[in-house]
Amino acid sequence: MTITGEVGAWNARENTAPAVTARGLTKVYGQGDTAVHALRGVDVSFATGAFTAIMGPSGSGKSTLMHCLAGLDTVSAGQVHIGDVELTGLGDKQLTLLRRERIGFIFQAFNLLPTLTAEQNIRLPLEIAGRQADGELFDRVVETVGLRDRLGHKPTELSGGQQQRVAVARALISKPQVIFADEPTGNLDSRSGAEILSFLRTSVRELGQTIVMVTHDPVAASYAGRVVFLRDGLLVSELTEPSPQSVLDMLIKLEA
Amino acid sequence: MLRTTLAGLRAHKLRLLLTSLAIALGVGFIAGTFVLTDTIEVGFSQKFSAAADKVDVSVLPVRGESTGVARPMSGAVLEKIRAVGGVADAQGLVQGTSALIGKDGKAAGDVPTAGISIPEGSLNRTSITSGAAPKTATQAVLDENTAEARGFKIGDTVAVLDSKNARHEFTVVGLFDAGLDQQLLYSGAVGYTTETAKAMTGAKGFKEIDVLASEGVTQEAVRGSVAAALGTGYQVRTGEQYAADLARSNGADTQLLTLGLLMFGLVAMFVAALVIYNTFNILVAQRTREMALLRCIGATRGQVFGSIVLESAVVGLLSSVLGLLLGYGLGAGALAVLAGAGTSLPSTGSAALTTRTIVLGLLIGLVVTVGAALLPARSATKVAPIAALRSQVEEHTFKAGLFRVIFAALLLVVGVGATVAGVGMVPGEVALLAVAAGGSFVFLAVLVLGPVIVKPLGAFVGWLPAKLSGVPGRLAVDNSRRNPKRSATTTVALTVGVTLMTLIAVLTGTMRVTFTQQLDDQFPVDYMVQTQDRGSGLPRALAEDLRTRPELTSVVASRETSAKIGDKEYQVGAFTAGSDFRPKLDAGSIDVLKPGTAVVSDYDLKQLGVKVGDRIPVRTTEAGTVDLTIVGTFDSGESNLTGVTVPAEEFDRYFGPVDDSWVMINAKDGVSPEQARKAVDAAAQPYPTAKVASSTELRGAFDETLDMMLMIITGLLGLAVLISLLGIANTLSLSVHERTRESALLRALGLTRPQLRRMLVVEALILGLIGALVGVVLGITFGWAAGQTLAADVVFQLPVLQILAFVALSGLAGVLAAVLPARRAARASIVGSLAAG
Repeated sequence: MTITGEVGAWNARENTAPAVTARGLTKVYGQGDTAVHALRGVDVSFATGAFTAIMGPSGSGKSTLMHCLAGLDTVSAGQVHIGDVELTGLGDKQLTLLRRERIGFIFQAFNLLPTLTAEQNIRLPLEIAGRQADGELFDRVVETVGLRDRLGHKPTELSGGQQQRVAVARALISKPQVIFADEPTGNLDSRSGAEILSFLRTSVRELGQTIVMVTHDPVAASYAGRVVFLRDGLLVSELTEPSPQSVLDMLIKLEA
Repeated sequence: MLRTTLAGLRAHKLRLLLTSLAIALGVGFIAGTFVLTDTIEVGFSQKFSAAADKVDVSVLPVRGESTGVARPMSGAVLEKIRAVGGVADAQGLVQGTSALIGKDGKAAGDVPTAGISIPEGSLNRTSITSGAAPKTATQAVLDENTAEARGFKIGDTVAVLDSKNARHEFTVVGLFDAGLDQQLLYSGAVGYTTETAKAMTGAKGFKEIDVLASEGVTQEAVRGSVAAALGTGYQVRTGEQYAADLARSNGADTQLLTLGLLMFGLVAMFVAALVIYNTFNILVAQRTREMALLRCIGATRGQVFGSIVLESAVVGLLSSVLGLLLGYGLGAGALAVLAGAGTSLPSTGSAALTTRTIVLGLLIGLVVTVGAALLPARSATKVAPIAALRSQVEEHTFKAGLFRVIFAALLLVVGVGATVAGVGMVPGEVALLAVAAGGSFVFLAVLVLGPVIVKPLGAFVGWLPAKLSGVPGRLAVDNSRRNPKRSATTTVALTVGVTLMTLIAVLTGTMRVTFTQQLDDQFPVDYMVQTQDRGSGLPRALAEDLRTRPELTSVVASRETSAKIGDKEYQVGAFTAGSDFRPKLDAGSIDVLKPGTAVVSDYDLKQLGVKVGDRIPVRTTEAGTVDLTIVGTFDSGESNLTGVTVPAEEFDRYFGPVDDSWVMINAKDGVSPEQARKAVDAAAQPYPTAKVASSTELRGAFDETLDMMLMIITGLLGLAVLISLLGIANTLSLSVHERTRESALLRALGLTRPQLRRMLVVEALILGLIGALVGVVLGITFGWAAGQTLAADVVFQLPVLQILAFVALSGLAGVLAAVLPARRAARASIVGSLAAG
């Protein structure tokens, strides 16, 4: 596989080729009269070392876009590249290995395996890939998310915010080319949510991590450096250096 | 509520399919047992009534109170009955032994064939199937089985030995059906005219007299007058009563079969109950939110409880009906197999499905299902309405409660105590029962302790799989331990079957070795010649002939007779042998056995109340009473010597030339078994009743019996194992359903489909191995304990290969059970599963 060995140091990737690119991305569910066009030809790219939010009203196709970009779902037409690897046309096994090597995930809920401790959950992607965790990196990530004294706990013994911090640490530990976060703060109170978003922004700024986040919360989106807006399966607009207010204004404009 | 429950059932048809199958298999086995035995019983009664139709009154002698033996009735009794008013005809039946000579010139079969009389006229109950009944003193009929086995047909001349071993020849004029007489079926029979039968068997009279009533006289009336004429000492019954009694005594045999089979059925139902209990527990856990929602919108605890019980009742009823159909098929199939195997079962055509079978089958299925669902239903009522609002299902952490530990400890103490006591007791039924009770208690302790021990055991048996298959393996070990209660119930179901299988394997293995050793002790030779009926003697010329054969060596011949010592009879005997024959004595030596002395077994010493050195008076037939000094003693269980053994030449002086009762022979070194056997056979050829046995044949026959038994029992227990496998498959597929999102997460993180499949397969493997391991340990322990209660010096034998096979098969079966759930889990789409509730 060509994708192995591509996982370089974070800082080395800054301002190089985009981490993720989509061309003419189309996704249709069902057939004939009942067909639903979730994506109608999306062209978008996400720069390496950037924190991008995908926004849009309910049913705009933002989650579908993320699933297609991450190789979790197949596309009907168009192309997706993660780095220099084209996803479209890869089999399940190759997609799985690609996710293992290049992609990190943070979901809204049910991020962790209940049978494993926090530390085991963090190390899980590396173990699945059969790689050794870099001890220094592990310490740094754990320090960053402030989980040092929680490592031996099972998920049920952690608060919701702590669980999401474990999920962030797990996504960071394998130094993926891109982290996809799907409503990572959707289940959290505003303080815990702010914490998680700060961690994400810090990891972009300090570690050069590429993050693509789907959210419907203008405040969450304002932590990103760039926000792209989706409506009815099409990319309709984008903002750079957004504030909660500018995102909200844009949303209202789109809903109108 | 009813509508909700039924809608829920319809929506989750598949979910309960495996559970239904478990119940249906159990009910099917029980119903099948009844169908089989009912059909056999109906067949027996029909055949008995048919035979008894011909007889109006049957007269049997009453068994003597002290002897327990029925004295045959004389001709005078027959004449007396014939003279009674209302009696049209009366015929006496004669039955004894008359050894048929096979085509090889030797008495046929392991036991001498029976000789019976075939009465003339309408009182003949024996059904002649081809040819005619014997009419003259040179005619005879053979039972069909014997004729076929020995290769005789109508028109052949057969030779039969009479009770004095004199040879007579008869022409076979017909064949008859031995019917249901188990004794005749076993030995085979030759039928003669009544007079010839008396002469051939040496019978002193009739064992039964059958009476035909005159026209217009009722059975009861004739019975009355016959009974009055005979007085006491006779059992006089009408034909109908007689048939009913016969059917009843045979029914007892069938009942034994029913009970035996039902035990296996109950084991299967117990395992099914565990599977049902587990399934409903998991279903309730998974439907926590559903239950909570029902409670939110106003359902009472009682209604929630009722809905689960109702669900189990519907499942139980449907599966019981399925089980009944299955049972009918099983019963009919078993009958067909039995008929095909040529067993002597009466055939009535169709299998009998009685009302009792239907009611019992439905009832058992229903009660077991609903009973097993009661506890899960109770836990469903504890769901708080607020649970509907929680998004994530809580992990069930299990903590061993103090009560559980104390209860298990109590059970364990009682169980181990009973077992130890049983092993310490004198071998016998009581000891075996104590061990059985101990075993049951220990098993219950294991059942109670299951959730506690399943975690360490999971780590133990999972160690190697986890090492071998990396992350999936380690995740599987964690998964197998995450819900100890569920894992424990799943594995215990398998443990039941494996325990019993191991127990039986250990017991048969132990019996095999013990028997072989006993055989070596008591039969330390290659060949043994005895008469067919063990009662009559072998002419001494036989031993002489054997000694002249160059292929053979160490010929030991023993002769014995009974003689009074004091006021009781003892066996007194002697042996002739070469000087190399050194019987083992506990005290003294065979060399000191000189005229005027005897060696006496320890048993007889105790009976006589004497010791070595004492003198005993033996009343002889030829030499009056002789006083013998006891010069040695031996273990009666280990030696072949007669209880009181005297020198051979003295024996002849005391009792005259008594025939040998057995001859033991060894093959000379370097002579092939075939050659040696040929030499022994040749020497025995002139004596039709002299039967040659070899130790290898005896061992082979015993081995065969044991193997057959082991196979049948293991097969019957296989059902319990099959049901427990359904349980594993069920638990696993429900767990897979429960962990849909977890699996999706793992897939998103980079676990490949094969890895996910492997994770589930390893989990099943671990569950299977835990069940097998506990079962094997229990089975070996209690197999050993039960073995100790069978006999005094049992040689314990561990059938290692068989037990390893059980463990391997359990693991393999677990893996098989995981195939479908694993496929389903691996096929699920990641995106869809992540979204799933």
